Amino acid sequence: MLVTGAAAGIGLACARRFLTEGARVAMVDRDPERLSGARDSLAASERAFVIALDVSDAAAVREGVGEATRRMGGIDGIVNNAAVDLLRPFAEVSASDWNGVMAVNLVGAMEVCRAALDPLAASGRGAIVNVASAAGLRPVPGRVAYCASKAALIMATRALALELAERGIRANAVCPGAVDTGLFRASLGDAITVEDVKARYAQRRIGDAEEIAAAVAFLLSDEASFITGSALAVDGGRAFH
Amino acid sequence: MTSLAGKIAMVTGAANGIGRKCACLLADEGADLVLIDLEDEALEALAAELDRQDCNAVAIAGDCREDEILERAFEAAEARLGAVDILVNNVGQSARERADEFVGSDPATWRFVLEVSLMTSMRFARRAAPAMRERGWGRIINMSSDAALAGDAGLADYAAAKSGLLGFTRSLARELAPHGVTVNAVCPGAIRTRATEQMAPDIMARVVRGIPMARMGEPEDVARLVAFLAGEGGRYITGQTLLVDGGRWML
Repeated sequence: MLVTGAAAGIGLACARRFLTEGARVAMVDRDPERLSGARDSLAASERAFVIALDVSDAAAVREGVGEATRRMGGIDGIVNNAAVDLLRPFAEVSASDWNGVMAVNLVGAMEVCRAALDPLAASGRGAIVNVASAAGLRPVPGRVAYCASKAALIMATRALALELAERGIRANAVCPGAVDTGLFRASLGDAITVEDVKARYAQRRIGDAEEIAAAVAFLLSDEASFITGSALAVDGGRAFH
Repeated sequence: MTSLAGKIAMVTGAANGIGRKCACLLADEGADLVLIDLEDEALEALAAELDRQDCNAVAIAGDCREDEILERAFEAAEARLGAVDILVNNVGQSARERADEFVGSDPATWRFVLEVSLMTSMRFARRAAPAMRERGWGRIINMSSDAALAGDAGLADYAAAKSGLLGFTRSLARELAPHGVTVNAVCPGAIRTRATEQMAPDIMARVVRGIPMARMGEPEDVARLVAFLAGEGGRYITGQTLLVDGGRWML
């Protein structure tokens, strides 16, 4: 298993879950120190390999995915979880802001998929899960580029699913709602409280990273062997997709 | 696995195909089962099979559309097992033998299809939801169809019923979410069941050509998703429409 954005939050929860289930896991993140700290926090960390790279650097992605394949002896599943957020009024979103968001959230994910095509096909049960967002299904204010990048990731996932089915590779998206991570707390700003956010969800709460990891693990497993091209909202009742 | 140990699951249309596989996988996870179906022999055989694997199974033979059967099923469940935790509204029919162009169709057929494929699920949910809400835990899983999204020529009534089920699912999900009850819809694509076994080979081949994964689905493909939604892994997923169709529609 290869997980990007694995140093914290949803990515770390995915890595922990896969290790618990006995898998080998390549943990990818751009921050080497946080990544090593995250790995050391895990049980069964001898099956976890850390690879520090920025997914917007295509050359580094190719090299890193190659290294992951060698160290794990193959790749059966990929979780493209690395993402950047951008909370900014539309009038102030520059072309370089757009490029920065798309370079990680869309192109980065696709480059990881492309670099891993051969090992995924060789696996015979290769599967991709792209962590999009409920904000890719229903818009949220102040995040035009972020919402667009996640909607693009969902459609790219469908198109990939269609094209890769003949190589035996499945591709699905998981669309989390608000999850209690550092990124989420930092994104709130002063005007909105956690209670305000909870009120938008039918379950009147925000999610845990483990709840997202459960859906990711399901879609990567053989339990989901006839599911491809789906976008699964894990959002306590927000998007009603 | 025993992640559903102590839970009580009710499956309508349980004797064959997708419903049967759902019952078997929920039992594998440790749930006790209430099974309802018109076909009493197949139903009894399934109940006996589940009993042998230490699953307490209660079988009710009868037509799910009848209030008396519904009431008998819930009363038997409550008397012998307890309140229903997991409801799989699987029963549904397309009246395929009567399928025809809509312009030539008969309102009596629509009523039958809407009754068995939509109203029955609403009635079972109406009966099951109060106890789930009271106890703060429940799962309602409605079996829709990819025909609800893609449409199906000759089966307008069925597509309408299954599409109605999606709106019902979303509304009930909103009402029950604060009470720890999730409500989701599962949309199977082309699944190998008795209905599809009667397809002509050339039609079957055409269907398979339209599926990116290039195969028909098995009942187990659908049942595995149902088992996932029923378990703790599905606790933050509600109001959703999930396809198991080998990539045919992609929602």
